[in-house]
Amino acid sequence: MKLNVMAVICLVLVGVVGTAVYVFASATSNFTQTINSGTLSVDIVDGSYSPVGSPAVAMNSVGFSFSCQTATGTFGTASEQIYVQNPDAADAGWTVSIAAATTTAVWDSAGTDFDFNDPTTSGCADGADADSLSGQMTINPSGGTLAEGPCLSCSTTGVTKGSSSAFNEGTTDSITVLSGASGSDDIGNWKLTDVAISQTIPAEQPAASDYDINLTLSIVAI
Amino acid sequence: MCKYQISKAFQRLFVGFLFFSFIFTPSAYAIEYGGLGGRPAYPRSDNPRTESIFVHTLEAGAVQEEGVKVVNNTAEKKTVMIYAADSTPSTDGAFACKQLSETKTDVGAWIKLEKSEIVLESGTNETIPFTISVPQSASVGEHNGCILIQEKKEKVEGQTGAILSIRTGLRVVVTVPGEITRKLELVGFSLTPKQDSFLLNPLLKNTGNVSIDADVSVITRYFFGLVLKKHGGQYPVLRGETSNWNFELARPFWGGWYRSTFAVEYDQNQEASVGVKSGKELTRLEGNSIWFFSAPAPLALVIEIFVLAVLVACCWLWMRSRKRMKQIQQQWVEYEIEQGDDIQSIAKECGVSWKLLVKVNKLKPPYALRAGETIKVPPLNE
Repeated sequence: MKLNVMAVICLVLVGVVGTAVYVFASATSNFTQTINSGTLSVDIVDGSYSPVGSPAVAMNSVGFSFSCQTATGTFGTASEQIYVQNPDAADAGWTVSIAAATTTAVWDSAGTDFDFNDPTTSGCADGADADSLSGQMTINPSGGTLAEGPCLSCSTTGVTKGSSSAFNEGTTDSITVLSGASGSDDIGNWKLTDVAISQTIPAEQPAASDYDINLTLSIVAI
Repeated sequence: MCKYQISKAFQRLFVGFLFFSFIFTPSAYAIEYGGLGGRPAYPRSDNPRTESIFVHTLEAGAVQEEGVKVVNNTAEKKTVMIYAADSTPSTDGAFACKQLSETKTDVGAWIKLEKSEIVLESGTNETIPFTISVPQSASVGEHNGCILIQEKKEKVEGQTGAILSIRTGLRVVVTVPGEITRKLELVGFSLTPKQDSFLLNPLLKNTGNVSIDADVSVITRYFFGLVLKKHGGQYPVLRGETSNWNFELARPFWGGWYRSTFAVEYDQNQEASVGVKSGKELTRLEGNSIWFFSAPAPLALVIEIFVLAVLVACCWLWMRSRKRMKQIQQQWVEYEIEQGDDIQSIAKECGVSWKLLVKVNKLKPPYALRAGETIKVPPLNE
């Protein structure tokens, strides 16, 4: 009985004073608090919004073929979401776009390479660009899934997905993924997943498991 | 003895307090704004847009001093590259920046940064001064470039697929004064049905020599004019570019015929510029309307069929009742009320319900009948 009474007293004491922060009053006491201004950013994050260290989009593997074929992939998955944050840093709007690190980039391997921005016969033949490679990559943000991030009061109003487009050297070097209008949330975060990527692979492209290409995902305050 | 008990009680109280304090101590949560990026270091009070991008009107040959505040709000120390680049139109007419590897010929070449690489601890920032030197040969109108902030990363060995680097850019707008033309043209408006939605695609071309902040509005209405959904917002339409937006309209639940209209408003006055409205010459352009049909959702279809069936049934009942009343009016005969008649006795004599008599003759409660008055009754059998 006595022990119960003590426990109750302790609980009351903890309840009353345990949730407070204690300071010793003095003539010079001073509270300071700084919240640094945020910046507009785009990142690739996992399901708990932690940045992915070295993000990459893996294309589905295809077999060797004597005909031109298409490999597909998904940009923005549950474990690698495209995540945009605007902490009151771009009130007039922003654009997220994707481009190759260089317009002359190729899908590179130890063996033979292939192109990502040659539109000749939809990437199945080599065109007029400087290289002698064929292949074309198409990105379709309009089919992606746009949603609010962890922000409690955000909406996707004013945020639009880009059109399906294929890279074309010198003509389409950058593809718009997402745009935020001035009417979109000034303080907000959004995530985009399920953006389909397709890549035409030239006929008789040698089998290899080490094809890679460097792409840059940019967000720009406009 | 008593003293000992009090002391023991206080000991228990203290231990209990410590124990429960550990359990119920409130946690402190950090506010994580994340990201690596930047902001203009010296925004101007006369143009709120300068809080997020760099906007300057500079004569050919002028030099402008500026600064970019590079911020590391990530949880880690970062080595950051800062560089200038020209702008490039992205698909849909959106603004994008060229790559570090690309040759600079416009604003990207006019910018000289004091540092190209810095190391920032988590939660810190540094202002990098830079100058914009407009060449004497710069043409009149708007020129665009970017200041870009990108983490310096070593390539991960063995990584395959499309390897992504991430960067944040700030637009740099330099307008060389002279004969400024601000003009937009509506190019088209289309609608593409998708599985669960429609894509509304308005197209707008900037035929002037500066970018224009256009208020784009796409309004979809029900057949009878009530607004279903408004899309749009203010978007910059870049010099010489055609902008296109994909406004997604979820398939309306009830289905039916709908109409979408596209309109644009912009400031055509020469005094207007990026972030500054003159408010003197607001121009509105209105495009064609698109009528389209949307099939109802399955649940809506069931509800609609049910409501339609109820309406048809009601109509049928009403028409049948009207037809019957018409027949009665034509076939029934006049009867003069005699002393002692009441509605029930007449109804009984005629073989009909007293309610029908009341209804046909539009009698009011308490349905009293006066001798000499005439009412309609069914014809009596011979």
